[in-house]
Amino acid sequence: MNFNFINLQPYSNPQYFIYLMIALVPIIVGLYFGHRLKTYEAVFSLVFLFLIFDGSHWQQGVNLLIWLVYEFALTFGYQYYRHHGKNKTWVFCLAVILAIIPLVAVKYLTAFPDNSIGFVIGFLGISYVTFKTVQVIMEMRDGAIKQVDPITYARFLLFFPTISSGPIDRYRRFKKDYDKVPTRDAYITDLQYAVRYLFQGFLYKFVIGWFFGTYWLPKISAAALAVGNANGGLKLSWWVLAYMYCYSMYLFFDFAGYSLFAVSISYFMGIHTPMNFNMPFISKNIKDFWNRWHMTLSFWFRDYIYMRFTFFAMKKKLFKKRIRLSQVSYFLLFLIMGFWHGLTWYYIVYGIFHASAICINDMWLRFKRKHRKQIPHNKFTKWFAIFLTFNVVCFSFLIFSGFLSQLWFGWK
Amino acid sequence: MSNKRRLWQIFGPVLCAFILLLVVFLIPWEKTFSKQTIYEAAASQNTTVFKGSTMKQEAFDEGYVPFYGSSELSRFDPLHPSIIAEKYQRNYRPFLLGGPGSQSLAQFLGMQGTVKQLRNKKAVVIISPQWFTKRGQDPNAFALYYSPLQACNFLLSAKNNVADRYAAKRFLEMPDVKGEIKNSFKQIAEGKKLTTFQKFYLENRRQMLRNEDNFFSSFQLRDRVNKIHQRAKILPSAYSVKALNRVAKEQAEMHTNSNNLGIDNTFYRTRLSKKVLKRLKGSQRNFDYVHSVEYGDFQLMLEQFAKQHTNVLFIIPPINGKWMKYTGLSSKMYQESVAKMEHQLTSQGFENIADLSRRGSEKYFMEDTIHLGWRGWVAVDQAVRPFMKQPNERYNYDLSNYYFSKKWQNKDNVKRINLTDKERLKAK
Repeated sequence: MNFNFINLQPYSNPQYFIYLMIALVPIIVGLYFGHRLKTYEAVFSLVFLFLIFDGSHWQQGVNLLIWLVYEFALTFGYQYYRHHGKNKTWVFCLAVILAIIPLVAVKYLTAFPDNSIGFVIGFLGISYVTFKTVQVIMEMRDGAIKQVDPITYARFLLFFPTISSGPIDRYRRFKKDYDKVPTRDAYITDLQYAVRYLFQGFLYKFVIGWFFGTYWLPKISAAALAVGNANGGLKLSWWVLAYMYCYSMYLFFDFAGYSLFAVSISYFMGIHTPMNFNMPFISKNIKDFWNRWHMTLSFWFRDYIYMRFTFFAMKKKLFKKRIRLSQVSYFLLFLIMGFWHGLTWYYIVYGIFHASAICINDMWLRFKRKHRKQIPHNKFTKWFAIFLTFNVVCFSFLIFSGFLSQLWFGWK
Repeated sequence: MSNKRRLWQIFGPVLCAFILLLVVFLIPWEKTFSKQTIYEAAASQNTTVFKGSTMKQEAFDEGYVPFYGSSELSRFDPLHPSIIAEKYQRNYRPFLLGGPGSQSLAQFLGMQGTVKQLRNKKAVVIISPQWFTKRGQDPNAFALYYSPLQACNFLLSAKNNVADRYAAKRFLEMPDVKGEIKNSFKQIAEGKKLTTFQKFYLENRRQMLRNEDNFFSSFQLRDRVNKIHQRAKILPSAYSVKALNRVAKEQAEMHTNSNNLGIDNTFYRTRLSKKVLKRLKGSQRNFDYVHSVEYGDFQLMLEQFAKQHTNVLFIIPPINGKWMKYTGLSSKMYQESVAKMEHQLTSQGFENIADLSRRGSEKYFMEDTIHLGWRGWVAVDQAVRPFMKQPNERYNYDLSNYYFSKKWQNKDNVKRINLTDKERLKAK
């Protein structure tokens, strides 16, 4: 038998957008006339989720369902515990660990070559849904979330415009949008943004991103490998530099384009999914960069890893000096981020590189504060800072790309 | 501002963009490619080039000769036909068409756009007996080579005859044929005329696809120009078969020293791991290339050549002898399938055949398992060279619909024809 499932990977081709826009029409008309068609939205989301995980991807779909049952049991188990007025630290820690175990297992198992495991593990977007769950558990512990509504929670986790790669929304923010219907005026403004983001996304992902990633990058890569192998030694050439810039541009335009689609579709549905990028290449330092690059992820790491650890360490007085504390926190944050990207040397080096960069940046800022009079501050220094940050960031993306691994060791 | 006006300001530009897009796609744009682009395209084996028209049309007008084939075309050792033609300044340049899985049906479809350009000219076909499996064209591979543009070309010139009905039926079996094109194929398969709407739709669709072809087919060409120039340097400066064979031997010795099957080192390392080797041992004992729909599909290619009055050279490669023994593939069966192909060809007037099928055990003839390389390419050139020296002429063929029949597809024990006996061939 030859089953021909229609399988649609999110935002992958024009066809997807045509189907999506047609399916969105009732929701748009509904919201315009002041109704949120929750049932229709649910059916429509399920259909599009099904289209992501059917056909040859069905094992992923099964994994998603198992994951969902597991995390639901965990979240509502923890909520039951909290409603009984208890708030033990070890229970909280256990809940968080249990919540991230599936993700850790997937990351660990996928680090092996493909053929060593006989079955499909994980599913598209497991990281992002895990982040959402962890965030809910943490806010339940704080008491910021008093009551999780199962249906809203399911909608929040499975919100299909963002399921595959974010942006990572917050439960309370999502619930606020989801429970209300925007006024007509506000909704028209939403539509305005939605259309703009959609077309900006097309430009980013399918035009600019395509040129950098699909058109130039393979050529540059081939040239860099050929010249590098001929040169020997560290196998460096100007082509590697070209690769660095080209890859950085590709990474930004591809991912920003993708994020714009997710935000755009959310806006059509009257949900203000937060933006992921805010002109990252004009950052004036590394800290500024992380406030502009993959923002929902970096804010998640900031709120739920960096801040938590800092408070914990301060309470326990683990460090005498505040500076030392923030440095350790940065290394912790970026190492976890590195490991999260994958268990290969270049992701981990990428994490260490950024942690070092941000610590050096902090040192420089402290130095500058002390010597404010001697250090000039003008247009030139401002542009120089942007230029320097841009190059440091691009270099980190060269590490991140794994191209050096391919160049030096022949694998990626 | 009223809501209506705001909505218009939001969606108006979107609407205009779509209208503009439609207009741009429906205007017939002319495009000529640079000599350099054509040169790159000819050696690229890109599927966009395979599926398109303009690039091929321009190339065939400028002295390129199509080499229809499949994966062997990518065996770019220094003896590859593209490199030999470049090195010895031949009066032709090969235009490589095909890749893994481009069997007769895909090739036939790809040929639709260049009827005019190949009229009374030449073509080379490298047949792979591996195409001739029971089900013929692999549907998944077909997806890679399926060109809606060429489907429109076929449909708009289709006639109600055995060949076109057969072709339409075969295309309908391929999962990637969809929508109105599929409906049109159904009409043709049933011997009906296209409806007015279908004609209108196909004409406009074809215009759009032509523009797409014009705009985008020169993108992302696989650049083998440097490879050609570098490897051409390895060849002897004066042409002689002996000298070429010597270079072939040197190169092959160097590139097959990792195994005793005479297989290219890279291929051996990447494609034949211990696990794979173990699995393949004796696995092809029951392979059968004699009973196959492919014979019918192959007839479609012959129809196309006859329609164009093209002079065609067919090359039938062997299988690496050691590999054949290892996988247990029957040599008798292989030769039987070759005899059947040769019968189909010669009985209809296609007499230029380079039958290399018995030479698989010659050292360094094959690059790996089933693909020609080194000395095999030299043998190919020994057939190509005199063939290309012939003047272009109008060739007439004597075709028979019998070759579309199930009876022929399943026929066995076809007698081998003596290809060297030109008189007997003529008499048939």
